[in-house]
Amino acid sequence: MALDAIIHQPARLQIMAALCQLKPRTRVDFGFLKEKLGLTDGNLGAHLLALEEADYIAVEKTFVGRRPKTFLQTTAKGRTAFAGHVTALQSIFNQT
Amino acid sequence: MNISKEEAAVALATVGRSQAVLRQAFRAHCGHWHLWLWGGVWVVMALTAHFGGPPAVARYFLPLSIAGGLASGLIAFIQGRHVRLPMDWRFLRLLGALLGFGLIWPLVLRPAPSNELVFAYLGLLVAQLYVAAGLWFDMYLLWLGLILAALLLIGLWFFLPVFWIWIAVFGGGALIGGGCYVRWGWR
Repeated sequence: MALDAIIHQPARLQIMAALCQLKPRTRVDFGFLKEKLGLTDGNLGAHLLALEEADYIAVEKTFVGRRPKTFLQTTAKGRTAFAGHVTALQSIFNQT
Repeated sequence: MNISKEEAAVALATVGRSQAVLRQAFRAHCGHWHLWLWGGVWVVMALTAHFGGPPAVARYFLPLSIAGGLASGLIAFIQGRHVRLPMDWRFLRLLGALLGFGLIWPLVLRPAPSNELVFAYLGLLVAQLYVAAGLWFDMYLLWLGLILAALLLIGLWFFLPVFWIWIAVFGGGALIGGGCYVRWGWR
């Protein structure tokens, strides 16, 4: 397994690790993820865009009442890529 | 792309931290409000039955159950603003089957009607649903279901004269305690 350059950036690694922790098709709100990971609006938004362009996450914009909401979830491709990245990290770490 | 062993260790630590933070936040976000709510409903029901007797049971239990259901729905709606779980139709069908058969059994067995027996029976039905949810999703629900079932049976068999006080303290207490565990004790 090779390292994934898109996922390896620290903030994106945080985001993918958090989202892949949830069961497939579970969606979390942008604000919830921002608060839990301690990221800023701009920082999280920019990295989500990169992950969405790579088709690693799906972004759904909707309304709850009158308030706009952005929900995020991983794609199957994103989960596979993240698992491969972690395997690559572990193999590097375990090298003697 | 090449990185050192130290960089890999830092990245793996980041992964572990993020996963732990979200796992804790997600589980705490989802479970404890419902357990506190139903623990409170059980306490109110049991105290109502103890101090008001059968007329109070006839008068207040159904409205309390409906109010609890509505409040649960409201909590689920509010939580849905932050986290949306995929609908697990297979599990819902399982719950429907358990509940359906659970409501048929009394028609066949025809137990002697008493408020304590009916409450214990319905409570055991709820405990059974917790056990099923625990086997399906998270183990804490399984343990909660088993503890609830044991407390209901102990109350029914050994403490019948003070059954409602027993339920208020230990039945409602177990649900509220379960909520506290999910909120603060879970890692």
